[in-house]
Amino acid sequence: MLKPGDVAPPFDLPCAKGDRIDRLALRQITTEMLVLFFYPRDFSFICPTEVVGFHHRIAEFRAENTSLIGVSVDSAESHIRWIRELGGIDYPLLADERGEVARAYGVFDETKKVALRATFVVDRRREIAFAMACPLNIGRSVSETLRIVRAIRTGRLCPAEWQPGAGFGPLESDL
Amino acid sequence: MAVALDPAEKRRLFERLSSVREIVFGVQDGVLTTAGVLAGLSGAVNGRTQIIMAALASTAAGALSMGAGAYLGTRAEVEVIRGELARTRQEAAAQPYVLQEELLEKLAGEGLTREAAYRVVKLLSGSPHALLTTVEAKLYGLGSAGGNALLDGITMGAAFLTGALVPLLPFIFIATVHAGLIAAMATTALTLFTVGYFQGWLANRERCWLSGLRFLTIAMSAAAAGYLIGLAIAPLGSVPSL
Repeated sequence: MLKPGDVAPPFDLPCAKGDRIDRLALRQITTEMLVLFFYPRDFSFICPTEVVGFHHRIAEFRAENTSLIGVSVDSAESHIRWIRELGGIDYPLLADERGEVARAYGVFDETKKVALRATFVVDRRREIAFAMACPLNIGRSVSETLRIVRAIRTGRLCPAEWQPGAGFGPLESDL
Repeated sequence: MAVALDPAEKRRLFERLSSVREIVFGVQDGVLTTAGVLAGLSGAVNGRTQIIMAALASTAAGALSMGAGAYLGTRAEVEVIRGELARTRQEAAAQPYVLQEELLEKLAGEGLTREAAYRVVKLLSGSPHALLTTVEAKLYGLGSAGGNALLDGITMGAAFLTGALVPLLPFIFIATVHAGLIAAMATTALTLFTVGYFQGWLANRERCWLSGLRFLTIAMSAAAAGYLIGLAIAPLGSVPSL
């Protein structure tokens, strides 16, 4: 699995954007930051809590000049049906059918042939700024991802449990 | 034209058929054990009354032991299943999505598309009870935990007793040991063949006589082995005749 400081592997894959199929490449992302989150499969009972959770907070991510992209091994057609099932998702879902991107990021489960539940925050230099993975049966916290994005964007030393508006630790140059 | 049973009636039929295990096992064991005792003692002991008393004691002990064994076995099974069901229900209440996901994977693995499996599980989830019973049956292979330990114990004990009487009665009513043993073996053979045939019939086998023949072969082998062992140990000690 990639770690902070690693270069984010490029991708160029079909994706579902709302009700249509398109292609999306890393180089096309123009926002300062990117949240790339992998999930195991469409049509599951755990993933929608995350996929919909990110959708409900999309405005807050955009306010942080951050794009969101979901990735699974399902086809773009499946993503479209899944998006309809969920009542609409306002960010693209990448169709990593052969698991190439998941492998490149080191989060492909070769036994189950699905991506792990993993999240990467990619910074403006297109390097990994944050990486985490959790078991397939545990959903992630959208709030925590947003807190991480905000913390990274401050460029400051953020202590444990840091929240926007709270004080910072000493500057890195002071350490 | 065959009339299909309604599901509730079919379920009751399956529940009744589940007693076949106790009946077949009990009768077979009763017949074999008693025939073996009669054959073995006939080889080792000269007194007819002594043989009958030993066979009666063996029958009583066997029936009680088998009945108690079936009772305890079913009771333990029911308790374990009930405990597991309670755990599943707690899990379902706390994390329904985990069970939903497991059921989805199971259905997808059985040939439904992932999307179809999702919709089936979603529909089932409209009723927590329907979801839970489906999970229990489909994932854990559990039906209702309604096994009746007392009934199983009585059935097994009665089946053993019935089986034991088959070789014992002719031995009691025929005056000589030799003729009684032949009659006991003949009724044993006939009974085991019939039980085997009946089991084959229940299992819808085309050649029920093969099932009967298998039972017969086992019975004769056990009886012959018992008789030979009796002959072999006879010289080791002399047992006084009554």
